[in-house]
Amino acid sequence: MNAFRVLSLVALVSLFFVLAACAAPTAAPTQAPPTAAPAATQPPAAAKVIKLYASWPMQGSMIPEGTAMLNAAKMALDEANSQVAGYTLQLVFLDDASPTTGSWDGTVEANNAQKAIADEQALVYFGTYNSGAAKISMPLTNKAGMAQITPANSYPGLTKKGYAAGEPDIYRPSGKVNYFRTFGADDFQGASGAAWAKCLGFKKVYILDDRQLYGKGIADVFEKKAKEIGLEVAAHEGIESVNIDFRALLTKVKASGADVVYFGGLVDSGGPQILQQMDSQGLFKAGVKMLSDDAMYTDAVPAAVKPEIINGNLLVTFASPALDQLPTDVGKNFYKNYKAKYNADPIGWSIYSYNAMLVILDSIKRAAPKLDAATNVTAKRAAVLDAMRATKDLPGVSGNITFDENGDPTTYLMSGFLFKDGKYVWQKNISGDMKCQ
Amino acid sequence: MRQIWQSITAPWRALPARQRTIITGGIAILLLLVFPAVDKSMKWQTLNDVTDVLVLVILALGLNIVVGYAGLLDLGYAAFFAIGAYTTGILTWPPHGLEFNFWIVIWAAVIVAALCGIVIGTPTLRLRGDYLAIVTLAFGEIVPIVMRNLGNQTLSIGPWRLMENFNLTNGVQGLNPVGRPWIGSFEFGFDPTPWYYLILLIAAFVIFANVRLQDSRLGRAWMALREDETAADCMGVDPIKTKLLAFALGASFSGFSGAFYAAKLQAIFPELFKFNLSIMILCMVILGGMGNIKGVVIGGMLIQLFDRVLLTQTTLIARGVGQTLHIAQLATVDLSLWRWFFFGLAMVIIMVLKPEGLFPSAARRAELHAAEESKTAETIG
Amino acid sequence: MTQSELFIQLLINGVTLGSYLALIALGYTMVYGIIELINFAHGDVYMLGFMISLTFLGFLGVRGTLGGWQLWVVIFGVMLVTMLCTGLINMTIDRIAYKPLRRAPRLAPLITAVGMSFMLENLGMIWKGPSQILYPDIFPAFDIPNGLFGLNTMVLFTTKDVFLMGVTIPLMVVLTLFIRRTKMGKAMRATAQDREAAALMGINVENVIRTTFFIGGALAGAAGMMVGLYLNTGRYLMGFDAGLLAFTSAVLGGIGNVTGAMLGGYVIGFLNAISDQYLSPEWTRAIVFTTLILVLVFKPSGLLGERTPEKS
Repeated sequence: MNAFRVLSLVALVSLFFVLAACAAPTAAPTQAPPTAAPAATQPPAAAKVIKLYASWPMQGSMIPEGTAMLNAAKMALDEANSQVAGYTLQLVFLDDASPTTGSWDGTVEANNAQKAIADEQALVYFGTYNSGAAKISMPLTNKAGMAQITPANSYPGLTKKGYAAGEPDIYRPSGKVNYFRTFGADDFQGASGAAWAKCLGFKKVYILDDRQLYGKGIADVFEKKAKEIGLEVAAHEGIESVNIDFRALLTKVKASGADVVYFGGLVDSGGPQILQQMDSQGLFKAGVKMLSDDAMYTDAVPAAVKPEIINGNLLVTFASPALDQLPTDVGKNFYKNYKAKYNADPIGWSIYSYNAMLVILDSIKRAAPKLDAATNVTAKRAAVLDAMRATKDLPGVSGNITFDENGDPTTYLMSGFLFKDGKYVWQKNISGDMKCQ
Repeated sequence: MRQIWQSITAPWRALPARQRTIITGGIAILLLLVFPAVDKSMKWQTLNDVTDVLVLVILALGLNIVVGYAGLLDLGYAAFFAIGAYTTGILTWPPHGLEFNFWIVIWAAVIVAALCGIVIGTPTLRLRGDYLAIVTLAFGEIVPIVMRNLGNQTLSIGPWRLMENFNLTNGVQGLNPVGRPWIGSFEFGFDPTPWYYLILLIAAFVIFANVRLQDSRLGRAWMALREDETAADCMGVDPIKTKLLAFALGASFSGFSGAFYAAKLQAIFPELFKFNLSIMILCMVILGGMGNIKGVVIGGMLIQLFDRVLLTQTTLIARGVGQTLHIAQLATVDLSLWRWFFFGLAMVIIMVLKPEGLFPSAARRAELHAAEESKTAETIG
Repeated sequence: MTQSELFIQLLINGVTLGSYLALIALGYTMVYGIIELINFAHGDVYMLGFMISLTFLGFLGVRGTLGGWQLWVVIFGVMLVTMLCTGLINMTIDRIAYKPLRRAPRLAPLITAVGMSFMLENLGMIWKGPSQILYPDIFPAFDIPNGLFGLNTMVLFTTKDVFLMGVTIPLMVVLTLFIRRTKMGKAMRATAQDREAAALMGINVENVIRTTFFIGGALAGAAGMMVGLYLNTGRYLMGFDAGLLAFTSAVLGGIGNVTGAMLGGYVIGFLNAISDQYLSPEWTRAIVFTTLILVLVFKPSGLLGERTPEKS
């Protein structure tokens, strides 16, 4: 009897929940902070609308990066006036961070992908930021035959064999490739980092990672490559990212006689703390340097440590030339327009987000004849997906974009930077098979 | 107004109580059963959210047994959730070569979670309540670390290699994919509807178990222990055994939730089970009223409603107000950054002002206000 | 670096870490001794101490390393103000969250303590942002073995280490003397033994509790500032992390026992250093928390504990 009463309450409250959720105009734009809210432009002609669903975290410490990515995507869309071949494009932004934790959440990501799939006007899924989130949405979009393009996922196993059992086929239940990235996987970056370290004359490396998908992934690749090319690996250890006291660990580094520390991890995971304490523990004085990944290529680093101490001591790898020295016309315009429009420098992810939007626009343009003829959503999605798979020599920010059969970019630019005089200074183009002069 | 209302509802109130509950219960069940169809036809797309909320509500109901009935503060409840989810993952992850059927695995998850509850509970339950809270908190911190580190461990003592590249949990990459349930030849796929019915079934089972436990001999023993351990002990209630049962039962319910969560998400990662989740569930239990099923269910839903809808909506409203009134601070406010502040505040306010929760059960209210009553009695006397 | 140098460095790392852990642990143990409450928010008061002192240093416009009288005036001036602030904050926490629940079941104030901790953590995040915070490097670091004694060794032992110990250890000595020798200290010990009897003897119990919270908060604030000066870095989550370690120290030493808390702090400091050094940092937290569970299970009274936790 009591059970009945409880059940009825469950029903009432869930109904209330639903109603409240629907009281909002549409679930999608309101979930993003207002910076993102105007993402969906006004729909003029209802019939020829194509929706692009974007999904990455937009909460807490991810707000600056998430906004920079969204801004770049919106800029590409605005430059095309949101019109391609007679179709009006709408960007629907969904946040995949969980309200509970403030960081990306699998449940939310799955919901976002399912929302996109259920929307018959949605032809492209644009995201994610975190590779872990992509693991969840990829099988969903794949089954639905919807193209998915990411500006930031870097875990190699998403598209390549040899990282974890069953990958990448487990993400492709339909057996077809539907997932593309404009950002190259970590195997490029980790390997380029190791090759560069060797060329810089380092003999022995101490590898640290933050025990997260991205950091550990890139550090593993670095370790593998370093062993291949004869760079001695003193040890590879995980750190606890909430810790602020790394002195005991750095004592070990000092004792190992390593002349470079490789840190694979996010900027929030303790990288700056380690830099700070490498200085106070006298490692920099002893000539030890830190080499790190693109997550440390950010102004957050000199804001969190005294710039003087890392001058000449911090090297980072990053998947682009310096943003104000982009080689192509597209790139130069991108930098100029972005700065004019948002009154801020673009960040690394902005490039790849902009590139991804260029790919989307181009694919829709090429798919237009098939789209016009298509009668149902499956055919429309297939048309865009086929067009995207055939992307070839599309002029992008840092070079032409072509996808290989896995959906990875065929050309991939990697640069080494040195922190000098208070800023990151471009050193050279690097790659996994680079030759040292 | 009131009279009109009364005259309208008169025939309803004339019905015997039993019939009334059957009718309301029946309507409620009907509504819940047709909800997916309504959701689909109205294009709300809320079915997934509702399913996720129900997962958390089941967790809250499990914790309610531990905190509410038995009065043991568990600050690491998410650990049992993680254990349930990981058991499911480990037993169905293809590279392990096990790939058990989900309907077996879900029970395995329940049993493993309950066993872990017993293992951690047996030595610690004889400790006082606040020590227990800390032990569970420590346990809740250890479990995700262990899950994260058991991806590729080589353990050796001198020349003996105990484990070499031992991979149980696949480390930070998590387990992916996790096996899905099948019924006959029907596979639970990406369509949320079957998942919704499954979680509804589990919820019904958990609520039923909660209701039956509440008034059972065991439930009364828990309440006796909670209110006065010494007295209960003297009356022949074995405190350790009884508390251990609460711990194991609470853990087993989170095992259900964990198995369901892993199977629906198709992937699990160590980061999903942090301390914050434990606190969130605790908050759900406290808000509605500890030891009270109805309260926990409503409290849980209210918190989720607040978290998922109200917080973002209020942010937008606050910004709108700020923009019209030209208050720069208000126009750029992001209330979702204040989420944990609000949860903390809710815990403090509820415990200080209304410790029996928003929807109290009579027994609990009497207990928590006993001190005040005795005080009034003193002043009168 | 030879093995013996490594070991000496490990000792230094352990002692310095232990010093500030002990200072935080004292706050837990004192409050527990008097009202038998785990003040979960205590770690976050330490975090606030870090942030408050950082703000005051910002007001003073201090950025680089100082020297001479300026150094001592700034450090001790700011430290006093910070200790006053955190002491008052801790008293306010007691007033808001614990005082109304003095007669309630024991779990009620523990839940409000967790709630308070989350509120403070969130405030810290809003105040100084979610990322790492740079703390000005005020105190000059001078390598003692190499610079002063001309030893050619890899062991790093600087004036900063001396300063950290030189501040934390006297603070602990003063506290011990305060509890042993003063009238208030006597009242605190009496209240810890039997609150009702103490009240009957004319001790203002509420006053004693307030003082305890004030002292605990002030010590946590001092610890926060010391960590800032010593490590030059911090984060809003540092309170949660250090709080758990310090609580483990307090339990290990025997909760309620002031000397025990200090001892526990150093033991946990060494344990951390040893685990980081010889095992792997990724397991350190798991090891510390396992120690906590083992101590609670097998010796709940801790190393020096007088009171048995099973007796309620």
